[in-house]
Amino acid sequence: MGFARARPILRVPSTQTLVGGAVAVVAAALVLYPIYFLFQAALNVGDPEAKPPTDYGFDNFVNLGQYGEILLNTVTVSLAATVLALLFGFVTAWILSRTNVPGRHVLEQLMAVPYYVTPLLGAFAWSLLGAPESGFVNQVWRALGGEDHLIDIATPWGIAWVMALFEGSVAFVMIGAVMKSMDPALEEASQIIGAGRLRTMLRITLPLVAPGVLGAAIFVFAEMLGSFSAALVLGLPNRFYVVTTAMYQLVSQYPPRIPLAAAMGVSLFAVMFAMLFVYRRIVTRRSYVTITGKAFRPRVMDVGALRFVLLAVCVLYILLSVALPLLTLVYASVQKIAVAFPAAANWTLDNYRTATTMNAVRSALANSLILGVATATIGVVVMGLLAWIIYRARLPGSGVIEYIVMFPQAVPRLVFAFGMMWAWLIFPIPIYGTLWLLLIAYLTVFLPLGIRTIAGVMLQVDRTLEESAQMCGAPWAYRIRTVTMPLLGPGLIAAWLLLFIAGVRELGASILLMGPYAKVITPAIVESWFASSAELTAAMALIQTIVVAMAMTLFVALTRRAQVVRE
Amino acid sequence: MPANKTNGSTRRAVLKAGAVLAALPLAGKAFAQPARAPTKVLDFHTYADVAKAEAEGQLVFYCHENEAGTAAIMEGFGKDFPKIKTGYVRAQTGALYNKIVSERAAGRFDVDVIQLSDLAPALDFQKKGGYEIYASPEAGAYAPEHLSDPPGAFFWAGVSFAGIAYSKAKVKPEDAPKTWKDLLDPRWRNAMSCKISSSGIQFVQWYMFRKLYGPDYWKEFAKQRPRAFDSRVQLFDRLAKGDDKVTAIGEYAAYVLYKEKGADVAFVAPADGLPATPLLVGMVSKAPHAEAAKLFVDWAMSGRGQAFYQDNPNLIYGSLRKDAPPMRTGERLRDFKLLSPEDYADYMASRDQFSKEWAAMLGL
Amino acid sequence: MAERAAHIEVENLVVRYGGATAVDAVSFRVQPGEQLTLLGPSGCGKTTTLRAIAGLERPSAGLIRIGGAPVYSSADGIDVPAETRGLSMVFQSYAIWPHMTVFNNVAYGLRVRGAPKSEIDAKVRAALALVQMAGFEGRPASQLSGGQQQRVALARACVFSPQVLLFDEPLSNLDAKLRADMRIELRELQHRLGITSVYVTHDLEEALAMSDHIVVMRNGTIEQIGSPTEIYNLPRNAFVADFVGSANLIRGRLRDDLAAEGLTALETAGGHVVYGMAHGRQAGSESTFSVRTVHLRLSEAPPAAARNVWPVRVRRCVFQGDFTQAHVAWGDRELIVRGAAMAPLADGAEAFLSVDPACCVLLEA
Repeated sequence: MGFARARPILRVPSTQTLVGGAVAVVAAALVLYPIYFLFQAALNVGDPEAKPPTDYGFDNFVNLGQYGEILLNTVTVSLAATVLALLFGFVTAWILSRTNVPGRHVLEQLMAVPYYVTPLLGAFAWSLLGAPESGFVNQVWRALGGEDHLIDIATPWGIAWVMALFEGSVAFVMIGAVMKSMDPALEEASQIIGAGRLRTMLRITLPLVAPGVLGAAIFVFAEMLGSFSAALVLGLPNRFYVVTTAMYQLVSQYPPRIPLAAAMGVSLFAVMFAMLFVYRRIVTRRSYVTITGKAFRPRVMDVGALRFVLLAVCVLYILLSVALPLLTLVYASVQKIAVAFPAAANWTLDNYRTATTMNAVRSALANSLILGVATATIGVVVMGLLAWIIYRARLPGSGVIEYIVMFPQAVPRLVFAFGMMWAWLIFPIPIYGTLWLLLIAYLTVFLPLGIRTIAGVMLQVDRTLEESAQMCGAPWAYRIRTVTMPLLGPGLIAAWLLLFIAGVRELGASILLMGPYAKVITPAIVESWFASSAELTAAMALIQTIVVAMAMTLFVALTRRAQVVRE
Repeated sequence: MPANKTNGSTRRAVLKAGAVLAALPLAGKAFAQPARAPTKVLDFHTYADVAKAEAEGQLVFYCHENEAGTAAIMEGFGKDFPKIKTGYVRAQTGALYNKIVSERAAGRFDVDVIQLSDLAPALDFQKKGGYEIYASPEAGAYAPEHLSDPPGAFFWAGVSFAGIAYSKAKVKPEDAPKTWKDLLDPRWRNAMSCKISSSGIQFVQWYMFRKLYGPDYWKEFAKQRPRAFDSRVQLFDRLAKGDDKVTAIGEYAAYVLYKEKGADVAFVAPADGLPATPLLVGMVSKAPHAEAAKLFVDWAMSGRGQAFYQDNPNLIYGSLRKDAPPMRTGERLRDFKLLSPEDYADYMASRDQFSKEWAAMLGL
Repeated sequence: MAERAAHIEVENLVVRYGGATAVDAVSFRVQPGEQLTLLGPSGCGKTTTLRAIAGLERPSAGLIRIGGAPVYSSADGIDVPAETRGLSMVFQSYAIWPHMTVFNNVAYGLRVRGAPKSEIDAKVRAALALVQMAGFEGRPASQLSGGQQQRVALARACVFSPQVLLFDEPLSNLDAKLRADMRIELRELQHRLGITSVYVTHDLEEALAMSDHIVVMRNGTIEQIGSPTEIYNLPRNAFVADFVGSANLIRGRLRDDLAAEGLTALETAGGHVVYGMAHGRQAGSESTFSVRTVHLRLSEAPPAAARNVWPVRVRRCVFQGDFTQAHVAWGDRELIVRGAAMAPLADGAEAFLSVDPACCVLLEA
C-alpha cells in the first residue's frame, strides 16, 4: 500500500513550521527593530534634529564620563536594593519552607501580593510616610518628642528600601524554588552522622543553595538596574538620578538630549545583558541539587516558641509592603492636605469626586483595562505558540528564537520604549500615539515574562500526551486544539492574569509612548503626582487598584465557572 | 424605487465627502481671510462654521497646564459645545514644544490648537509657519501688544506671574524673604524650590534677573541647591506640608488656590517686580479639525472664555481683554508690577544657554 | 479487527543525536501478525528504534518500510509524518488524557478519521469490552488506577484497527503481580487481533513470554535476533548469554585431541576439561562455553555420567524462594548453580558438580 501524503524531507514545510516561522519572524522584528534605532540614536553625533542621522561616532559615550555620578548612583542603589531584597526573600523563604511557622499556606499566598501592589504605589505611599518634613512617620516621631526626622525616604537608601520591599517577593519565589529542589536526604545524612542543626545548615544547606541564591541575586540585580518607578517618585525631585530617570529627564527636557539619553540607555543595556548572560550560565549549568529535577518537600524544623516570632517577621514584611502603603494611600486620599494628625475640617471626599469625574482618569482607566485585556489575550496566543515552538517542536533555529524573545529582559523597559518611540515615529503606518503602539510595546516587553510562564506549565505537560494524539492520527492543529490547549488551561489562565496585571501597571514602557487619545492609567497617575496634589494622586491610585482587583476577581470567577461547566 | 434611493444616498455621500475634503487643510491660505460676516454663537462671534465644527466632532489640544488645569479648559469648552469631543496632551512647555516639533518633522499633524506658557517657542513656531493665521472677530478686544505680530497666529489668553511664597509654619515673619536678593541667604539652602527648565515662567525669571541683577545672581542661586518641579501646584503642595520652606517662583494662581484650600502659606510681591509670562493660544496649521480649532480660538478669546480662564480655580489667569472684569481675588493685573522681556530676539537667543545652565544647576 | 496486518522492514537504520549515535545500522524484519520484541538494557537504543518506526524521531539514515511502502527513506528523501503512517502506540506512561472521559479517550482516533457517530459508539464499546473495561465509558480518565489506564491506552490504540501496534515498555509501571497477568492478556489480545506488533522492554521474562522473535540490542547495535528458545538456548555471545537468563561463562583452550562424538572440549586455566556442543560455530584456539546456572547439578554422591563431573566445595548457599542458588569453588574460580528443589548444602560442604554437555554452548568468537 502506498502513502498518499508521504512528504519529502524538508522540501515542503508543514503547517507547524509555517505558523511557527511566521510568529518567530514577527517576534524577532518587534524585538530588534527598536534596538536598532536605540543604537542609531546613541551613535548619532551630527545634528540631533536630522533624521536619519548625518554623522556617526562614539562621542556620546565619551561624554558619559561627565555623568559618572549617575552611573555610580544606579549601581549603588541597585546593589543596596538587591542585598535588601535577597535578605527579605531569603529570610521569608527559609521561614516558610523550613520551619513550622503557623499559617504557612496562607502566608505563602500572601507573599505574592507585594508583586501586585507595584513599586509605584509603594513609592507614593512611602513618600507620604517618610518625607523628612511632611512624612507621617516623622510627624508622629516629632509628636512623641523626637527631634527633626526619624527616616528620610528621599535618599538612596530610601529608594533601595522601597525597591527591595516589592522586589523581595520575586526573590522569595526564586529562593523558595531553590530550597524546594534540595533533597532533604542530604541534610539528614549530615545529621545522622552527628552534626548539629547549625553546623548542618552552615556546612551542607547553605553551600547547596548558594548557586541558586547567586542566580537569584544576579537576576534581581539586573531587574533593579532597569527599575524606574521608585527612583522617579523619590529621587527625581531631590536631584538624585539613576540612568532610567536621567534618560526620562533628558528626553522630556527642552531641547531634548536624545543622543546622550540613548548612549546612557545603551550602557545600561550592556551591563544588564552581561548580568543576564552570567545568570543563564549559572542556571543552565544545572546545580548539583537538582539532579532529578523533582521538587522535594524540604524537612521542616520544629522551632518551638520561636515560631511565633518568625510568624511576626513574615507578617511584618507583608504589613510593610502591602498593608501600610495601602492604608497610607487611603488615609491621604481623604484629606485636603495630608497630615498625620488632621483637623476635623481636613477630611474630604473631594479627591475621589475629582478623580472619578476627571475625564482623563476615566478614559485612562478604560484604556488601561482594554489594553490589559488585549495584551493578555493576544499575548497568551502568541506567546503560547512561541513557547511551543521553542520548547516542544524540534525545529532548527529554536535556540536562536529563544534568545531573541528573551532579549527584552536585558533591556530596561524605558530604554526599550525609547527605541520604540524613535522607531515608530517614522513608521509609514500612523500608529504612533495610539493604543496600537502601546499594545505592540507591551507585547514585546512582556515576551520573556509570558513565554517563561507558559513554558513552565507546558513542560509539566508530558510530551507523550501530545505524541499519543499524533499516533492516533491527529494533525498538528487538531492536537493543539484538543489536547495541548485544554491541558494547558489553568496555566494559560495564570499567564493571562499575569499579563493583564503587567499591562495595567506598566510605567516605563508607556510613559514615553502615550498620545492624546491613548492615555493609560499608570503614567497618568505619575503625571498627577508631579503636576497635582499628592492627595488627588492617592485617590487615583486607589481607584486604579480597586478597579484592577475587581477585574481580576471577575475574570477568575468566570474561568472557574467555565471549568466547572466543562466537567 | 431602489434606483432612486441609491442615487439619493450616493449624492448625499458625495456631498459629505465633499465637505470633508473641503475641511482638509489642502489650501491653507483659503481660510485665512474669509470675506463673510462673523456668526454669533452663544454670546461671542466666530468666523468658524459651527455646523462644520460640530460635524468634525473633535478637537485636539496640546497644553502646558497641569492635568487639572488642562482638563478644566477642555471641560469649559466642552460644556458649551458638547458635540465636539475634546482630547488633550499636557506637558511642560519645553517638552510640549519638543513633541509638536518632532511630530511635525515626522509628517504627523494631529493637533488643532496649542497653548504655550513661553513666548520663545511661540515665536519660533510662528517663524516656522506652524501657526495658522486666523483673524478672529474677537481680536478687537485686545491691545495689539497682546496679539502676535502680525496678528492672527496666537494671542495672549492670560498672564501668569510669580512672587516669593513661603510656609508660615516653617518660617517666622521676621525671617521671611522680602526681596529677590533675600533668596540668596544661606538659610534657604536645601529648603527652596523652583521649576524645571521646560517651564516658561522659569525662563522669564532667569532672563529678567540676569538683566536686573547680573549673571552672578544665578551662580549664587545654584549654591542654594534648590529642588525643581514640574508644576506650580507641586511647589505649593510642598510648602503647605512643610517639605520646603520657601519657593523662588510661587505663581499667584497657585497661591490663591492653596489659600482657599486652607494652606498655611504666604505670598510676597517684591518691590522690584514679579516675573510674568503670557499664556499663548493659537491654532495650528494643517489642523485636522480646522473649524473646531477656529471655534475654540474664538471661544478662548471671548469674554465667556476669558471669564472661564480667570475664574476656574485650577487656572486663575489674569485676563488681558480690554473689558475683562477683576480676577477672582478682586485684584486686577495692573495692580501688580510685572516683569517681562522687551527684546524678544535676545530673549529667544538665550534659550539654549538657559537650558544648559539650569540643567547643570540641577545636576543633569 | 485487523484484517490487513502489515509487515515491517527496517534496513540499516541510523539515528544520531548531536555527536552520539543512538542506533547504529540496525536491520530486522517483522512478519505480518507476529510480535517482535526489542530487548536490551537501558540506553541500548531500543526505544529510539521504536520511535523511529513510529515517526516520532527523525533518523539520520536508513530505510523503514511498512506493508511494503517506504515511510522513511534517506536515499529517496521520504519521511511520512507520524500521524499518517497508520500505526498505533501504547506509551510507557499510558498518556491517557486526564481532561477527557474514558470514552472520549478511546474515541479520539476514530473522531480524527471522521467516523460517523454510530460507528464510533459501537467500536469504542467493543474495544473497551476487549480490554475488560466495559462500563467505564463515562468515567473521567483522571480517576483511573494504573492498570485501568493501561487497558484504556490499549483500547485507544486498537479501536481504529491499525496495521501495526507499537509498545514502549507498557508494563514497566505496574506492580509485579499485575505485570504478570497483563503479559498474558496482551499476548492473547495480540493473537486474537492478529496485529503486527513491535514491543520494547528491558524485562527478560516479558520478552520471552510474549514474543515470536526477539532482537537483543546493546549500545545501538543488534547482538542477536531469534526466537525466545533460540536466544535462551543458543546465545551467540557473552552479553546475550548473561543478559538472557543467568549463565556461567567458562573460557578455555581448545583441545581438539579430546574431541569425540561431535563434542568440543575446552581446557580451563584451572585444569578442568569441559565438554560442550559447537552448534555449527567455529571454535578458535581460545573459546568460551556458556552454561546456564539452572543446568548445573550439585549432588552429594558422584553422578554416573562420564564427562563433565567435578568435585567442588560449596562456598555459600542462598535460599531464593522458587530456587536455591549455590556458589561453588571450582578450581580457581567460582561457579553459580541454581536449582529448584535443591536441598540446601552447608557452607564448606563437599559435593559433586555435573552438567550435560548438550547444555554447554560454544559462543561465537
